Amino acid sequence: MYRRAPFLSSLLLLLIALLLSLAIGSVFIPPAELWRVITGTSSSEVFRTIFLDIRLPRTILIAFVGAALAGSGAAYQGLFRNPLADPYLIGVAAGAGLGAIMAMSIHWPYNTLGLLAIPMAAFITGLLTVYIVYTIAHVGGSVPTTNLILAGVAVSSFAVALTSFLMFKSTNEVRRAIGWLLGGVSLVSWGATLALIPYLAIGLGTLILGGYALNLLQFGDDQATQMGLHVRRAKFIIIVAASLVTAAAVSFAGIIGFVGLIVPHIVRIWWGVDYRRLIPLSIIGGAVVLLFADVLARVVLAPQELPVGIVTALAGAPFFLWVLRRAKNQGSG
Amino acid sequence: MLRKFILFTLLIGLINACSPQATPTAAALAFTDGLGRQVTLNGPAQRVVSLAPSNTEILFAIGAGKQVIGRDQLSDFPEEAKAVADIGSTFDALNTELIVAQKPDLVLAAEINTPEQVKQLENLGLTVYYLKNPLTLEGMYDNLNVVAQMTGHTQETAKLVESLKARVAAVDEKIAPLSARMNVFYELDGTDPAKPYTAGKGTFITQLIDRAGGHNIAADIEGYPQLSLEQVVAADPAFIILGDARYGITPESIAQRPGWESLSAVKDGHVVPFNDDLVSRPGPRLVDALEELAKLLRPELFQ
Repeated sequence: MYRRAPFLSSLLLLLIALLLSLAIGSVFIPPAELWRVITGTSSSEVFRTIFLDIRLPRTILIAFVGAALAGSGAAYQGLFRNPLADPYLIGVAAGAGLGAIMAMSIHWPYNTLGLLAIPMAAFITGLLTVYIVYTIAHVGGSVPTTNLILAGVAVSSFAVALTSFLMFKSTNEVRRAIGWLLGGVSLVSWGATLALIPYLAIGLGTLILGGYALNLLQFGDDQATQMGLHVRRAKFIIIVAASLVTAAAVSFAGIIGFVGLIVPHIVRIWWGVDYRRLIPLSIIGGAVVLLFADVLARVVLAPQELPVGIVTALAGAPFFLWVLRRAKNQGSG
Repeated sequence: MLRKFILFTLLIGLINACSPQATPTAAALAFTDGLGRQVTLNGPAQRVVSLAPSNTEILFAIGAGKQVIGRDQLSDFPEEAKAVADIGSTFDALNTELIVAQKPDLVLAAEINTPEQVKQLENLGLTVYYLKNPLTLEGMYDNLNVVAQMTGHTQETAKLVESLKARVAAVDEKIAPLSARMNVFYELDGTDPAKPYTAGKGTFITQLIDRAGGHNIAADIEGYPQLSLEQVVAADPAFIILGDARYGITPESIAQRPGWESLSAVKDGHVVPFNDDLVSRPGPRLVDALEELAKLLRPELFQ
């Protein structure tokens, strides 16, 4: 059934994931009480706070981040025609990590600006890194994908090395830095959640519209040009959109691996390679997968919460292998 | 229909999130915390959640143990603290749901918590006090007094501080006249025996070793440095104190490390396991640490 109605079934999954994420937490809220909280008739201040100020913003933030990572991951896999591409391929994460660690080594005053220093630094250095990679990879009038990948890997390694150096140097911030690099949603609040909306709307909107261009790019740059695509401009727009979305997600949620890599593949195995569908379906799928991972992160070691980045790989990898194997067995992989 | 439901849920959340919070009534107690935040309490806190082992130890030591209704996962001292509700780890993600559910009237944070975590709790309408790590024993007494004021235990605390000062003075009296200082290496983590971690300048470990009649061989290096084995051999410490004893490091395992067997401390049997909690949790047990270190380095004075 899920094969024929991709949007309906993925939205259904999303709904289940959202409900699970809202219903499950360290504190059990009885279903009847949960309903009263949702309808605004609950008399329990504690349940109201837990639901409306903790679970709801967290759920939405996680859904946003998952959508952002999987959407840009799908776009990058198409752009680079490389099944191993993920949203961090050309340096966003490495750059953002470096920016975050640099910001952590400074003692910011306790005010709105000081508290935003780390996400802002991560966002800016993430984008800056991609810009550097793009500039380096630029040869003559074109930007060969191989150049982009190689420059991305080299610049990322450099940024990661600098990050490690800084972490090594400042022992006090190591724990905080590791937490950030493993992907943990700190500073969950409505502010962070709402701040993501404009970036996601513009970035993911652009990527969805870029589906046709990505379809053409699958034939190679020359063919795509002959078919009437302005290849350099298309690449540029897709990179900008994907980087914007990823940097925004990373700045608030840290580096969450694997989602951007596997979700597009699962979508491809189940629902085919047409990027006009692949991108929006990956966006929904990313939200679903990260929501499930986050629910697991909350319950596995309760009352301790795992960084969600650990769960995505720990639970995501076996799941992906299962999907892959099933597809192979059915001869449709 | 489904999509409408999601939208509906979101909308309700947004409306509720924007509604104004209740404003506190006239406050009896006002404090400025370690982040420079103004913290006000309507009288002594009765339901306290502690976010750090040091805070838990302080609360119990000053007689506020009964008011502690939640503590972080690592708070394991004193024994009674283990019976208090566990609110999870405070290292990466705070379990805010559990904290809110305890309905605390004070959340006592420490330097192991981040400003982001403080903000997160503040956004949930909780009263949070961020207790900065003291740099000296005097600073530790100040911390005890602040927590005492917040929980209404000033009299007991005054007595406690007095007795702590008396114990420190007793050690000082014996140690201060000594002119010679013994070289000490304090191992925090010797996972890599060629490059063990130690504590340096500005730490209580260095301060207390000094006050106990020793000299930390890493006293000139800022923070928590990694020393090379060469540096350790060159300094040839008279004592090696194993702050990592709980991780299975023993005097025997030290003697088996390549290159360590030539050290005087190893030859003389001056390699001693130590409870690192005493020095890593800035609370009243720092004084226990001082006494233990003094007895360890100068046993002849404490017969």
